[in-house]
Amino acid sequence: MSELLDHLHFDAILERIRHKLPIQNPLHSFVHNNILMMFEGKEFHEALTEAGQLYRARPYWSREQYQARFNEGKINAQDISDGIDQYMLHYCDPSVADNLGIPLKQFYYQLMFSELMFNDDNVQPDIKDGQLWEACAEKMSGQVLDLKLGQKKYRAKEYWEKYYNESMASATHPYIINLISSFLDQGQSFWSNPFTEKGFWDFFIADIAVTSTFGTPWQKILGHKLNQYEGSTSQEIIEKELNRISIPRENWESFILDVLFDLKGWSGMVNKLELEPWQATIKAPQIKLIDYIAALILIETSLDQYHAQAHSTDLATIYGRDEIISLRSFQLALALYQITTSFGLQENWFDSLSVETLLETVAQVDQAEKHHLVRLWHEAYENHYYREALTSLIHHERAPINSSNTEAQVLFCIDDREESFRRHLEEVNPLVKTYGVVGFFNIDMNFSSVKHKRLIAQCPPVVAPSRVVHEVPRKDQDLQSFSRFNHFRGGSDLSSYYLSRTLFRGFFSTLILGVVSIIPMFLQVFFPEKAKKFREMFYRWLNPIPETEIVIEQKQAGQGYTRVEMARIVEAVVNICGLKNEFAPLVVVMAHGSSSNNNPFKQAYGCGACGGNAGIPNSRAFAKMANDPEVRSELRNFGMLIPDTTYFISGFHDTCTDEIHYFDTDKMPTAFENAFKNVRLSLEEACKKNAFERCQRFSSEAAKVSPELALKHVKERAEDLAQPRPEYGHSTNVLAIVGLRDMTKGLFLNRRSFLHTYDWRIDPDGELLKQVVVGGVPVAVNINMDYYFSCVDNDNFGCGSKLPLNLTSLLGVMTGSSSDLRIGLARQMVEIHEPIRNLTIIEAPLARVKDLFDNHGRLKNLLYNHWMRLAVFDPEQKRWYIFRENEFKEMVMEKKQLKHFNSSMELINKGPDGEDFAEIG
Amino acid sequence: MELIFLSLLLIPFSWILFLGASFLSGRQLPERFLSESIKWLSVVMSLLSLILSVSMVLNGSQALVLDYPAWFKAGEYNFKIRFIVDLLGTTYGLLTSLLIGIIFRFSRNYLHREEGYFRFVVLLSILMFGLMIVSFARSLDLIFVGWELVGTTSVLLIGYFYSQNQPVRHSLKALISYRFCDMGILAASAWAHHYLHTTDFTQMPDLVSSGYGGELALSFIGLFVIWASLAKSGQLPFSSWLPAAMEGPTPSSAIFYGALSIHLGPFLLLRFYEYFQHFPVLLWLIGIVGAVSAIYGSAVGRTRSDAKTMLAYATISQVGIIWIEIALGFTKFALFHIVAHASLRTWQFLRSSSLIQDFFENPVVLQNEKTNRYLSFEKFLDESFQKKVFLHALHGFHLDFFTGKIIDGLLWPMNIIIRCEKKWMEWNDKFVSLLLRKW
Repeated sequence: MSELLDHLHFDAILERIRHKLPIQNPLHSFVHNNILMMFEGKEFHEALTEAGQLYRARPYWSREQYQARFNEGKINAQDISDGIDQYMLHYCDPSVADNLGIPLKQFYYQLMFSELMFNDDNVQPDIKDGQLWEACAEKMSGQVLDLKLGQKKYRAKEYWEKYYNESMASATHPYIINLISSFLDQGQSFWSNPFTEKGFWDFFIADIAVTSTFGTPWQKILGHKLNQYEGSTSQEIIEKELNRISIPRENWESFILDVLFDLKGWSGMVNKLELEPWQATIKAPQIKLIDYIAALILIETSLDQYHAQAHSTDLATIYGRDEIISLRSFQLALALYQITTSFGLQENWFDSLSVETLLETVAQVDQAEKHHLVRLWHEAYENHYYREALTSLIHHERAPINSSNTEAQVLFCIDDREESFRRHLEEVNPLVKTYGVVGFFNIDMNFSSVKHKRLIAQCPPVVAPSRVVHEVPRKDQDLQSFSRFNHFRGGSDLSSYYLSRTLFRGFFSTLILGVVSIIPMFLQVFFPEKAKKFREMFYRWLNPIPETEIVIEQKQAGQGYTRVEMARIVEAVVNICGLKNEFAPLVVVMAHGSSSNNNPFKQAYGCGACGGNAGIPNSRAFAKMANDPEVRSELRNFGMLIPDTTYFISGFHDTCTDEIHYFDTDKMPTAFENAFKNVRLSLEEACKKNAFERCQRFSSEAAKVSPELALKHVKERAEDLAQPRPEYGHSTNVLAIVGLRDMTKGLFLNRRSFLHTYDWRIDPDGELLKQVVVGGVPVAVNINMDYYFSCVDNDNFGCGSKLPLNLTSLLGVMTGSSSDLRIGLARQMVEIHEPIRNLTIIEAPLARVKDLFDNHGRLKNLLYNHWMRLAVFDPEQKRWYIFRENEFKEMVMEKKQLKHFNSSMELINKGPDGEDFAEIG
Repeated sequence: MELIFLSLLLIPFSWILFLGASFLSGRQLPERFLSESIKWLSVVMSLLSLILSVSMVLNGSQALVLDYPAWFKAGEYNFKIRFIVDLLGTTYGLLTSLLIGIIFRFSRNYLHREEGYFRFVVLLSILMFGLMIVSFARSLDLIFVGWELVGTTSVLLIGYFYSQNQPVRHSLKALISYRFCDMGILAASAWAHHYLHTTDFTQMPDLVSSGYGGELALSFIGLFVIWASLAKSGQLPFSSWLPAAMEGPTPSSAIFYGALSIHLGPFLLLRFYEYFQHFPVLLWLIGIVGAVSAIYGSAVGRTRSDAKTMLAYATISQVGIIWIEIALGFTKFALFHIVAHASLRTWQFLRSSSLIQDFFENPVVLQNEKTNRYLSFEKFLDESFQKKVFLHALHGFHLDFFTGKIIDGLLWPMNIIIRCEKKWMEWNDKFVSLLLRKW
């Protein structure tokens, strides 16, 4: 009993509500998350169904979209069979199928192709078999079946909309959005909200007191209500109001959630800024979710009261109404008819059954159609890719490893976009080896650059940065004038932003800026890349950026690292790659990032492991650590020998422009110059080819001619003000492969796989595996799921088209002049994505993997609740396993000859309908 | 020069005809063809406008007056096609060609792969044609043609995403404001035809001095012209549609509400400036409307926290200042202000998605420190009063509430009639059913 009371305690309710709200950060620190992270404790399909109701979204593609894939041959009979098998492992209630007298698998199969439309009045039934129809009609004559549509409805919203054409959204949302966006504003408006110090509730009360005189009738009612509640806390108000409209306490959670999800983005942001105020772009205002809820509920009940008066309706009859569809004898007969034909049953199958059983069956089939049908299609669709991926990997022939005379080793981020780049690099120069590690290179720092004092967390969002690391100029006097001018420029940018929007100063600045702005606008729109070069040249001439270096040494607590810590960092990364004692002359530490212009989602393209920023500081710091002779001598104590003939170089790959920058190369000893020149040439060549491969996905024809043009094209894309697709980011990502590069070297993966390097041979206790998997796989799942949801229902899980987006409060975007704060990714970012759950493939002894997944909270949830799929190659037993419904099963795949191409370029040139997998070389 | 001018009108016109014909024939034009064509269209148009402007200046800003055969006749009325190629017209024409060229280039990538690309191109082409007519028309009748084309395309582009509720509602709001003020042009031309027998604004001022129809009657023509200019330039009391109009794709918001459509109001006033000179009262009125709108736009705009409506209010306030300049007689300066303002706003609209990065990367914007907003008038207000003003400004000083009241006032006779009708129908029902029962 007391447990139940606790469950219904207001704080407990509020806590559960918090957990279900959207979790998106402000856009400046956007990170990919599984937007349903809080639902991971539930089975995937069940969680999606629940979230679908909450988000009012369709959590899968529509049936038509899957069927289009089926017609294209991208789903075949085998996939459907596998998909059903997979699905039946978890959803195996055979009662409907038993009633119909067919096996469950057949039931599911027929269901996928069924044409049941008996509860849809808009479709004219097509009856071919008159005799059967007669029989059905006779059986069902005089029967009625009530199909419930969900739970009791406690909100009057739909009622007003249905019967009186009164939209609550258009009545109240502009008002709410106006208040909340002004209150949360981080500095976009010239006159900042004077109430932010006091709290949202005070603002709300003050607003109603001052403005309700000029408001609509419901705002006047709201004013009266607030007078009555003077002195009450928000919690008291919520409780009183909900009791007044007699909502049972056990339904409060769902009621409040439903109210909050009307404006889910704003609600989520309120929650976020209350719980994690440091995420605010500038400063989080004093806002509490509970105040916001109280305001929303008061607004809702006031509007209801007003509508009830205006339409002389009794509110009591509206709250807590049931919505039912009654199927009458005609529809029931139709149902029976369609069930018979859809499931290919005998004409007389229902003769022996009682009417009650039949009614139950109809209800069950109705449920099955609503729930299982699209899930089955989804499983089948996923299985197609999974099977191809696994057969390709199993039958891919590993090239013999040649570890001698390696010219260079390049450490990439695990990012799926680097897959193609690594492949091209290895093709260009077979003497270069590539590795995939999490792109912050284990350096968990807050970084401050010479350009900006603001601390930027250069580490994954789940890690709290432990140190501050500064970038400093090499000569002191440089900085003074640089930063003075830099500040001046920042100040003038800011003032021209604010002042051009005001009255008198706006007048002068309009005249000046107006004339001045024509030239940059013209250049930027017509010659984006030249404009950029010109701008950079101009600023370099105006205010040259000083040469800098990164101070990693510890000078005081919380700043920099000690020698031992540095050695640990280097050791960990080097171990993960399995380099241990085989160093090439050059090791390039390749960070990545993405440049784009006029793009509110820039952060989503960056390096997820560096919090969406470019990983430059990390790679610079890492290279510096690894080159430091003292660190190397410290490493010797750990048994790791980095020879003097090895030098670490910091590099940066721009995934949008496919450019590579190197840092601190002037400190490189001259002995390495030749080797560096070689590697550099190879990397440049790989850039071109990588750009060419990427361009195949864009529809710009010019870029598909040659690698050189492609490289030029992608550079232009990045600088183009008008480009909604600077790059396609992580679109189409599915796989995460953990293992040695030999497993995938020479295999074309079509930029769809995260590649984590892991050497099982040097890791007897599984400690490295834990580091690699825990650090990398959840990230891959997060990205995968973020794309999944934005792709399946872009309007409700994602943020819709980029075209009308309107930046607000420096926190996020709205659609048009006023709307919910949009969550997720824009349509242009996910339009080529294929929503398939992550498939992780690990090369390691099975016991190690099992142990790891069973003992890690989130990984266990992800795996056992089907948010990801897992396959394991046990190199000791040389066997493949796949995880299915709580256990690993050995996998036997039919022999398949992979297509073979001499090079990636040959494959790309073949045409647009390329392969997802192929042997290269 | 006449030839250049004519091609400025005929090129967009034939392009629209071509688009219309291809649409009617059911053939879908490929995106690549469209974007290549509009590229050349804007290059040609910009060059022609440029040549026209240069030759205009070389000719010593001599206006070129052109008359063409009547479009149609109806009774005594004769729709004459009259144009004037003068400094004002060529400047606006040049601005139109250049900015639309930029917008066309911009939308080539921005609307790439968009379903409504064809629609967008058609509407923008019609806008171009409409603006060319307005720029060079010499009579109110002809201005009305272009004026309507601009208004219609504007409304249709607000409703570009017509599958959603809000864009459609807001485009309706714009439509109503536009139509209400379009009556101003119609009234002005009717009045002018009646008293002056012409709507040629080069002749109208002279006719005023000849004194036909009386001072008051003639001043009404000017009043109607001001009325007509209100909605297009978002001046009070027709301001609330403008911030709501930010529903379409960004480039269309930029070209309409940052640049070209919004300045048609002051453009019309400039066209009639000589006429207004005869009626100082009207100049006062223009100045007052401009001043009130400018203060209103700036007060509301500074509380806005989203990029686009903020720009909309900023635009209202700058256009208000342009109205004041016209009232004060600085017509050349007003034209310069229009050009500068249109360019700046277009640029700001197009770049509006960069704001988060701009702020985040700005070295003077720091965590936990309020950004410095510099001196502003609200800081001189007493604190509680300041808060009150803020709240009212946040709600746009309840403009919709007051206009709603006015509309209600206008509609109350209607409401009485509707109520009577309802009563009558109810009574009828009862009576009929009574009769039926009797039978």
